[in-house]
Amino acid sequence: MTTTMRSPGLWTLAWRRLCRDRVGIVSLWVVAFYFGVVLMALGGWLAPDWTREVGVNYAPPTWWMGAQESEDAPAAPTTAQANVVADLYGLQDPLASEFAVMQAAYPNEVGLPPEPPRMQTLPLGGDKWGHDVLTKLIKGSQTSLLVGFVAALVATALGTLFGAVAGYFGRWVDDAFNWLYGVFTAIPYLLLVFAIAAVLQQRGVVTIILILGLTGWTGVFRLVRAEYLKHKSREYVLAAGAIGASNMRRMFVHILPNVSHVILVQLSLNVVGFIKSEVILSFLGFGVPVDVVSWGSMLNEAQNELILGKWWQLAAAGLAMAVLVTAFSMLTDALRDALDPKLKQ
Amino acid sequence: MGCVASLAYAATPEKVLHLELSAAETGFDPVATSDLNTAAIEQQLFEALLTYDYLARPVRLIPRLAATMPVVTDQGKTWVFTLKKGAYFCPDPVFKGQLREATAQDVVYTIMRFMDPKNRSPYKFLVDGKIIGLDELGDEARKSGRFNYDASIAGLEVLDRYTLKIRLKTTDYNFSHAMAQPMYGVVAREVIEAYAGDTASHPVGTGPYRLGRWIRSSLIELEKNPNFRHELWDFGATHSGSDPALGSDPKIANSEDARVIAQMKGKTIPQIDRIDIQVIEESQSAWLSFGKGELDMIGLAGQFSPMALTGDRLKPALVQRGIRLDRLIDPSIAYYFINQQDPVLGGMSRERIALRRAIFMAQNDEEMIRVIYKGQAFRNAYPIPDGVEGSDPNYRSVLNYNPREANHLLDQMGYAKGPDGYRRLPDGKPLSVRYTTSLSSQDRELDEMMKKSLDRLSIHFESEKLKFPEIIKAERQCRVQMRLSGWIADYPDGDNFMQLWYGPHIHENNGSCYQDPVWDRLYEKTLTMPASLQRDKIYRQLARLLELNGVTKVSTSHIRNVLSQPWLLGYKAHPILPSVWSYLDIDDTQRPKP
Repeated sequence: MTTTMRSPGLWTLAWRRLCRDRVGIVSLWVVAFYFGVVLMALGGWLAPDWTREVGVNYAPPTWWMGAQESEDAPAAPTTAQANVVADLYGLQDPLASEFAVMQAAYPNEVGLPPEPPRMQTLPLGGDKWGHDVLTKLIKGSQTSLLVGFVAALVATALGTLFGAVAGYFGRWVDDAFNWLYGVFTAIPYLLLVFAIAAVLQQRGVVTIILILGLTGWTGVFRLVRAEYLKHKSREYVLAAGAIGASNMRRMFVHILPNVSHVILVQLSLNVVGFIKSEVILSFLGFGVPVDVVSWGSMLNEAQNELILGKWWQLAAAGLAMAVLVTAFSMLTDALRDALDPKLKQ
Repeated sequence: MGCVASLAYAATPEKVLHLELSAAETGFDPVATSDLNTAAIEQQLFEALLTYDYLARPVRLIPRLAATMPVVTDQGKTWVFTLKKGAYFCPDPVFKGQLREATAQDVVYTIMRFMDPKNRSPYKFLVDGKIIGLDELGDEARKSGRFNYDASIAGLEVLDRYTLKIRLKTTDYNFSHAMAQPMYGVVAREVIEAYAGDTASHPVGTGPYRLGRWIRSSLIELEKNPNFRHELWDFGATHSGSDPALGSDPKIANSEDARVIAQMKGKTIPQIDRIDIQVIEESQSAWLSFGKGELDMIGLAGQFSPMALTGDRLKPALVQRGIRLDRLIDPSIAYYFINQQDPVLGGMSRERIALRRAIFMAQNDEEMIRVIYKGQAFRNAYPIPDGVEGSDPNYRSVLNYNPREANHLLDQMGYAKGPDGYRRLPDGKPLSVRYTTSLSSQDRELDEMMKKSLDRLSIHFESEKLKFPEIIKAERQCRVQMRLSGWIADYPDGDNFMQLWYGPHIHENNGSCYQDPVWDRLYEKTLTMPASLQRDKIYRQLARLLELNGVTKVSTSHIRNVLSQPWLLGYKAHPILPSVWSYLDIDDTQRPKP
């Protein structure tokens, strides 16, 4: 009885190589942890409401409270302004009847209801309004990772499409795409991003994703185009053509899987770059709107807090970003090594 | 003469004053100016007939381009101004190398420009409806499309090269203040006509400085006007009042005046050769630059006051460095307004009034003072601030912070919550409030504050971010839905504040685009009244109407803290003058060497 030995595929081999890379595996766990946190935040199990004011203004981190000087003691929470019966100076209030009805309906409501008590300290401290920095950090990671991933997907998809079309068809199609590439890369990247952000005016996560996605495709384009130029004249592609495969089929069914390792590494690099870009955009005031929190918006807030000696928001957002970006970069390196056929042992 | 002066300056080391502006300038045509930063620069470039004494408190008018104070007759209806001789415009190619002296005819032309409908001047209100024959010229221009600057009218009569008679329709107790505004700085007709369409880039005045290098919204350099007449610094200490809110007393104020007088008396104006003004929108950057000695003076933003102040005093570390603090209550208000012409929030139906009042009642001013302004402001509900004629410290607002009552009001008026938890209009359409602020980090804090306020009412918040000059433009076009605006006294009279809601001032200063015949009639009554209890009574009605109709909520007044470096001589904060740079000097020996 004879048996056939199936040789392991590209992805199985890559996974095995990745598992042998300790730094890569640790980085993978760190990135997976961040994704786990983001998924739990998306599901509402973690940090359901970052806008709740749970601490006093600038509540310090719990573990650091003892080191604080007395003059920095947090301010008392908001006090209610007293209801005052005001003189109408002989004028008629157009809403007099409504207020009369309200007074009859709520006769015992005098002044403001007492505010719930606030924490003097919080695990990672509080911001100027008394928001919990830890909760903001979790919600912020959701925004930053979402922006990083979706923008990277958009940029990579565009770069792959443009690169495939330019590399496969060549001639004037290639010239046209190269001209477009030249235009985009001639302008310094951040200036281009700011210019588009300023023109769009509309703020929001979707806007940032669009800005980053539409400006970040050039790196992927360059590599994918080169790969397609190389692959289009190889035997397997010529053979596919000989048996009647259409151009589309040859480009995306036959060649694409063979260049996917390049695209995957670029996608990973783009995620890191776009997370940083979102932070820079939000830090400079072009980023997420005020009702959304991201690491960049936290750093933006922290720039004024730092000068007042309130360092905890800056430290939390900076550290969270640094750890993720470092882990992701290392994972990307490990992926590149794992996917590179030349390194096959 | 100009060349000789320039050579003389070159022989001595140049004195440069380094300053910052917290918001971009809007161009240097005085007729189009409405913001404080631009007015501060124009105060140095142009000269109005009158100005305010640098040291006198309460503030007092003195002649500037005028040789003497005007002769007022006919129960305040006839004003005769005599101009200084030898007040020359700064050099400009339009003058073809000739010295050009300011004359009474230039003053007439300057005043007429405010009524030219083409200019849409925000400061037209100071002469609108006041000078005999001038309104008719404006009406004619609206019909014909061209303002006749050659027309002679009874209200503006040139008696000779230096003398001008102004006849008013009725007694106006504030007319002298109008003639002290930097926007009424005298311009030359041939310059305005030569640069038609781009007058904002070609300021040519008789002031002590002229515009040098200008990078829009970034850098403004002022250099000495070589044609400026010989004038000596000659102010005397005349402080006669205290500032109860700040606890200062006349003795301290007079000792401060004595210091300023000792430093400046008898010096030629101006002493400083060049003024470099950087637009620094982020107060943190300004604070750090000041700390490094790169700026000679800054207005301390509230958020950084804990760094510089302990209570109302400068921190010892700064005192040791010789830094000085000038602190006064600004004759200013910060006020929320809602555009009355807005299709969603505007209108005078009870539903809309209730919605606007509810929005105002959700604003927690005390929290804003504590968290954003760090205690460098105080609650003031009245449109006329302390220190200005007509103010009322006993006024009580009907729009105090009370989100519970505001929610009841909205419930009662049919603003029901939709499935998303946010309120909708009574007809079921979506409801959101668009709040306009600038790009600065402090304005992001104001956005956060407004978001919190609207969340209390379950109303959607929308943020509109514009650069400051664009905000002003949008406001004049009634395109701003809601904003926290500010106004500082041009002159110390309540009229200067109440005019902000006068119907005919829409597209000028009336950012809320409020037009109410009842309000307008009451306001018009006050225009012919002197400062009096009777006028104050009407002012209180006007203020209350603004609240009852949900037009405006006056929120706060601010404390001005100005820090200056030890090498800056002669500085004293002035409550009204937008800038006093020509009265200063620099002791460069004290400035740290780079």
